[in-house]
Amino acid sequence: MVKIKNFIDTPSQTAGPFLHIGCTPSITGINIFKDELGSTPFKNISLNEEINIKGKIYDGNNDPIIDAMIETWQCDENGKYFNYQGFSRRVTDFKTGEYQLKTIRPGNQINENGTISPSYILFWIVARGMNRPLITRMYFDENEIKSDVMFKNLSIQDRLKTLIPYTEDKKNFVFDIHLQGKKETIFFEF
Amino acid sequence: MIKKHQPLRRFPDYKSSIVRSPENEPLLINFSNSEITGPLFNKNILNENDNNLILNFSKNGEKALGQEIFVHGFVKDENGNPLKDVLIEIWQANAGGKYRHQNDPSNTKLDENFGGCGRFITSSDGYYIFKTIEPGAYPYPNRGIEWRPKHIHFSLFGSMFLQRLITQMYFEGDPLIKSCPMVNSIPDINARKLLVGKLDLSKTDKEKILGYRFDIILRGKQQTYFENKIEGS
Ligand SMILES: [Fe+3]
Repeated sequence: MVKIKNFIDTPSQTAGPFLHIGCTPSITGINIFKDELGSTPFKNISLNEEINIKGKIYDGNNDPIIDAMIETWQCDENGKYFNYQGFSRRVTDFKTGEYQLKTIRPGNQINENGTISPSYILFWIVARGMNRPLITRMYFDENEIKSDVMFKNLSIQDRLKTLIPYTEDKKNFVFDIHLQGKKETIFFEF
Repeated sequence: MIKKHQPLRRFPDYKSSIVRSPENEPLLINFSNSEITGPLFNKNILNENDNNLILNFSKNGEKALGQEIFVHGFVKDENGNPLKDVLIEIWQANAGGKYRHQNDPSNTKLDENFGGCGRFITSSDGYYIFKTIEPGAYPYPNRGIEWRPKHIHFSLFGSMFLQRLITQMYFEGDPLIKSCPMVNSIPDINARKLLVGKLDLSKTDKEKILGYRFDIILRGKQQTYFENKIEGS
């Protein structure tokens, strides 16, 4: 069923190369606001539960993007979303293009219909050259998503691994995002 | 899958979109809890002057240079219902078209009293207002050197991640709008007009500064997927 809409949603435009002024102003030396939004997704992350994620976003020339902003959104370890935690804002390094995130591993998400989704962190990406944001998810376990109903019958089984970070110790993760080419990350639309 | 009122990700006239857009179509999925929830921001994150860019970076109370304007409007959903508690962040160049940013190569001067960013949270009727100065147009490398129309960058958080939006407001009558590849990446010509702030002389402000009205619509839970299915079959 399609409900009648009275208005169309305002078109997106690129955030441009200077998004830091508005979104992470302290990086540009502007310190006029009370706090910088999304500086940590959870307050007081204990060493015990802390995980570290880092990576780069590669463009079609395989160059890391140095002017991107990534917002992440996730549930807590019990699979529950809150309004005042779980959000972070990261920018890629002006020289290396690397982003870094310290957070906790989210739990399995319990959906409205009672089904359970494998745990993931939502990545929302904007940059110069992106007219619209790119949305992807970092999952933790390839086998888990292969059996998830959402992905089961899709013809992209061979690309599901682009949603899984590299890790040796389940505490430190490397999640690179590729915009094009053989390793192109799966992006979502809703 | 094309939403004609949203820009194409790959639009070759905007050169950097060529290497910064995926080659595969995005995967259309049903949204889940992560899309229908999102961070909320409380008014207590705001200072009194956060929405006044003429003063919020001032040294010794001096005003930023340029044509003083206010930019105001309402944030609504697709059915026209006002959206309260929407965090709006804006950023812009100064009156000479220069950003306070280490990567801005322009040799135009910075204004020591202008930072170029502001914040506001919409009131219960979805209303917002900023005071600022009219930004200058600036050149950028695209197909050779091109000029961006005067614009203010807007970032909005509704109540769920589905509503997250970053966009730009242009200024009514600016002749640079029609040749801007970022504007023209939107296939629906009428939708492009939604990004143009309209001159608004209606508001009698005691400071008598020029007004622009810019209303913003954030999407609801309707799925792109279903709209598309119906159109296509
Ligand atoms: Fe700009």
